[in-house]
Amino acid sequence: MDCPNSEFRMTVSQRLPIALDAALACDGGQLLALVGPSGSGKSTLLRMIAGLAQPAAGRIVCGDSVWFDAERNLCLSPQQRRIGHVPQHFGLFPHMSALDNVMAGLHHLGRGQRRRRAEEWLERVHLSGLDERRPAQLSGGEQQRVAVARALARDPAVLLLDEPFSAVDSATREGLYLELAELKQQLSIPVIMVTHDLGEALLLADRMTLLAHGRTLQSGTSRQVMAAPIDEDAARQVGIRNVFDGEILRHDPAAQLTWLRAGPHTLACRQRREFAPGARVRWVIPDSGVRLRSIVHDNLADRSNRLDVTVRALLTLGDEVQVTTVMDGIDAPLRTRIPARLVAGLGLAPQVRTTVVLHQDALHLLGGSDGSDRAGDRQFSDCTRVGPSASHRQGEAREPSGGCS
Amino acid sequence: MPDDGSGFFNGRADRVKRLLCALSCVATVLVSGRAHAEAPVVAAAADLQFALEELAQSFHQQTGQEVRLTFGSSGTFATQIRSGAPFELFLSADEEYATTLHAEGLTRDEGVLYAIGRVAIVAVLASPLAIDAELKGLAARLARGELVHFAIANPEHAPYGRRAEEVLKRAGLWEAIQPKLVLGENVSQAAQFATSGTAEGGIVALSLAMSPQMTKFSHYAVIPADWHTPLRQRMVLLKRAGETAQAFYRYLQQPAARAVLRRYGFTLPGEAD
Amino acid sequence: MDWTALGLSLQLGSVTVLLLIPAALFAGRALAYRRFHGKSLVEALLAVPLVLPPTVIGYYLLVCLGGQSLIGGWFERVAGHPLVFHFSGLVVASIVVNIPFAVQPIQRAFEAISGEVRDAAACCGMSFWRTLWSVELPLAWPGVLTGLVLTFAHTLGEFGVVLMVGGSIPGQTKTVAIAIYDRVQAFQFDAAGRMSLLLLLFSVTGLALAGALSRRLGRRYGLPEL
Repeated sequence: MDCPNSEFRMTVSQRLPIALDAALACDGGQLLALVGPSGSGKSTLLRMIAGLAQPAAGRIVCGDSVWFDAERNLCLSPQQRRIGHVPQHFGLFPHMSALDNVMAGLHHLGRGQRRRRAEEWLERVHLSGLDERRPAQLSGGEQQRVAVARALARDPAVLLLDEPFSAVDSATREGLYLELAELKQQLSIPVIMVTHDLGEALLLADRMTLLAHGRTLQSGTSRQVMAAPIDEDAARQVGIRNVFDGEILRHDPAAQLTWLRAGPHTLACRQRREFAPGARVRWVIPDSGVRLRSIVHDNLADRSNRLDVTVRALLTLGDEVQVTTVMDGIDAPLRTRIPARLVAGLGLAPQVRTTVVLHQDALHLLGGSDGSDRAGDRQFSDCTRVGPSASHRQGEAREPSGGCS
Repeated sequence: MPDDGSGFFNGRADRVKRLLCALSCVATVLVSGRAHAEAPVVAAAADLQFALEELAQSFHQQTGQEVRLTFGSSGTFATQIRSGAPFELFLSADEEYATTLHAEGLTRDEGVLYAIGRVAIVAVLASPLAIDAELKGLAARLARGELVHFAIANPEHAPYGRRAEEVLKRAGLWEAIQPKLVLGENVSQAAQFATSGTAEGGIVALSLAMSPQMTKFSHYAVIPADWHTPLRQRMVLLKRAGETAQAFYRYLQQPAARAVLRRYGFTLPGEAD
Repeated sequence: MDWTALGLSLQLGSVTVLLLIPAALFAGRALAYRRFHGKSLVEALLAVPLVLPPTVIGYYLLVCLGGQSLIGGWFERVAGHPLVFHFSGLVVASIVVNIPFAVQPIQRAFEAISGEVRDAAACCGMSFWRTLWSVELPLAWPGVLTGLVLTFAHTLGEFGVVLMVGGSIPGQTKTVAIAIYDRVQAFQFDAAGRMSLLLLLFSVTGLALAGALSRRLGRRYGLPEL
C-alpha cells in the first residue's frame, strides 16, 4: 500500500513528569480531534508534536521526515519541523501589528515575497484592512484568525490547534466554526485539534482520538467513537452514562442480531459474534437511543426493545428535560432527554410507570473489537506499527540533529 | 540584524534608546583615556586639612605646579600605602607610621619631621559645655551626669585620637566618659562632630580648632603639651615620588611654609614651644 | 562644586552599566527560562550584595583584588598599576555591587513574557538570536531600562565600597559621593549641599523618566507593570 506523503503518525510513552501512552494518526486534508478532560495530557501531546516538549520514548513521523525517534536519539527542534501552531490564547506578539505577526514566521522568504504572502493570508482569513492593528486592538476572534494566518502562511506540514475556541466568546464561536470548516477543505495537510468539547469535535473533526490520564483510549471516525466506545472510560468520555450488566444468550445470524439478558429483560442488538453465549458483558446505550414509548410510532416496534420503567426524577436543563427512570429488575438508572414542551403532554412525573424503547442499533456491547481501534486506525496499519516499541521502517531521518531545542 | 520592523530599535522609544547608546559609546571612549593630568597625590593627616590647602595653593602660585591632596587618618593611609595606593608623598601625624613604612622599604628615605602637633578641647560658642585647658568644665559636667556626647578621633588608627585618649586618662575621665564618646574616622571628622551638634564638644587637633573656618562659630582651649606623648609629625616621600612631589616636599621645609604652619598652631621641630 | 568628581561618578556609572547590563541580560534570561539544580542558590548568591554591608563587600574585594591576590597581581603585571586605588578597581567593585540591581528587574521582565509567545516564536521558525532581538528584547525592554537606571543611580550613590577599594584619590577614585563626605569634613557645607542637591535631582529625574517610559511601553503592549 502506498503511503501518501502528508501522513502524520505519532506514538509516545513516558512515565515522568507526566505519564503518557499515546498513539495518533492523521492524514492530509483531515482534521483529527484530540478529545479529553483537563489534565488528560492532550496539550502536552500537542507540544510534543510541535517539538516544544520531548517525550521519553516513541516516534513522531510526518510525511517523509522523522521528527522524533527516541531509539536513534533524534529530536528536531520546532524550528526544524515545519509546524503551524496556534496556542490556546493565540500567542500573538503583542508589540507587532497583525501583518508583522504573520510575517514573523516567514523569514525563510525574501522581503517582498514575505509581505505579499502575509497580506494574502490576512485576506484569506477575512482580516485585510486590519493589517496595522496590534493584538490588543483586535477582538478574540480576530486574534485567532491572525494566529491561524501566521501558522498557515508558513506552509507547514501540520497545523496544530490548541483548544482554539476556548478563549473566544460563544457568539463568535459559531462563525469561527464555519470558517475553520471552510479552511480545512482548502488544506491538504493534517490538522490536529485539541479540545475538551465533544460537541466541537463532532462538528469539525473527521477523526477523533479519546484521551484520558495520558492514555489514548480509542481512535476512529467521530461516528465510530461516539456510537461504539471501546470501554467504560471511553463511554464516559463521550458522555454515555447508561451502563449496565448483561449476559449473552445467543446469536441470530439470519436476523443479524445478538440476544442478551439484562435483569429480567431480553434485549437484542446488532450481531457481535466475538462474544460467546453465556459470557458476561457490560452494555451501554446513549441518551439518544432511549425513546419514551409514547413518542415512538408502532411500526418501528420490530427494531426495538420494549421495557417497562418507573420514572424516578425529572430535571429541567434549559430547553430539555432529563428523565431518569429505573428499569424493572435493574438497579442502575436509565436516562434520556426529551424536549421540555413534551413533558406535560406525556404526563410524566416521579413514580409514574411508562414504557421505553431501546434502539437495537444504539445498544452497544463494550469490549471486543468493532472496527475502531484502541490506538491507531486499522486502515493504516500497513503503514505504521503502533505501540511504544516503534518500527524502524517508516521514514528516514533527514537531519541527524541533537535535542529538540 | 533582522529587519522586520519589530526589532529593538523600532518603536517610539527608539529615540531614547539611540540616545542612551550614544552616551554609552562616548563613555567607553572616555574610559581608557583616564590619564588625568598626573598631578601627584599627597596623602596628608586630617589635622592638616586647612594648613595644607593653603600651602598647596601658594606652591602652585610660586612654581606653577599642582598637587592633589587627600586627607584622612594616618593609620588608614599607612594601610592603603601597603596595599599599593598610588600616593607620592605622605604627611603622617605620627612619625611611627612613617618610620614603619620606611622599615618596610616602601619609602625613599626616613623623611623629615615637619611639625609638632598640639591638641585642644573645642566646642561651639553656644554649647552648654564649659571648656578650659585643664578639662575642669568637662569633668564637672560629666560628674553631674549632664554630658551627652563627646567627640574624639578613633584612637585605633588616628594619632590625634590616641593623644585624646591619653589626655582624658591623665584627667582621670577616661572610664567615665567611655559611653559618651563619639569616634571620628579621623580628627577632621571628630572636629565636625564636635561642632555640628552631634556632640557637645571634643578634643581635636589645635590646627583645626584655631582655623578661621572653625573659629567662626566655636572656641577652644589648648591642652598642656605634657599631658600626652608628643605628636611628632613626619613626612616621607614614597618610592614612586616624581619631580613635583619632591619639589613640594622641599617647599614644605622652607621658611615661608613653616610660617604658615606656625600660624596654625604647629610648633616647628628645633624651635622652642 | 567638584566637577572632576562628578565627571568621575558619571563615568563610573556609565561604564558599569555598559559592562554589566549585557551580562545581566543573558544571566536574567537564563534564570527566567531555565530550570537547573542549584538555581535557588545561584539566585541567592546574585542577591547577596543587596543584604551585605558595603564595607564587607569592600573588604572581600580588597582581599580578592588587592596587590597580594592572584587577580590583583596579574592585573598589576598586565596594566602596570594595581587594580585597587584605580578607576578600574572601582569598575570591578561597582559591577559586583550592582549585580542584583541589574539582574533582578531583567529577570522579572523576561519572566513576564508569556510562554505562549515564546512557543509561538519557536514554532515560527525563529532562531535564538532572532527571537531575542525581535520578540524578547522589545517585550522585556522596560525591565532592562529599569535595571539600567537602578544600576546607574546606585553607582552614583555608592560610598562604602568605593572608599574601601578606591581610597579617595582625586581625579581617579574620588567620586562625587566621597567628595561630599570630604567637603563636610572640611567644613565646606555649601559645596557639600550643592553637590548633594545635584545628585538628588539627578537620581529623582532618572528614576521618574525610567518609570514613565517603562509604563508607556507597558501600556502599549498590555504588559504588567514592573
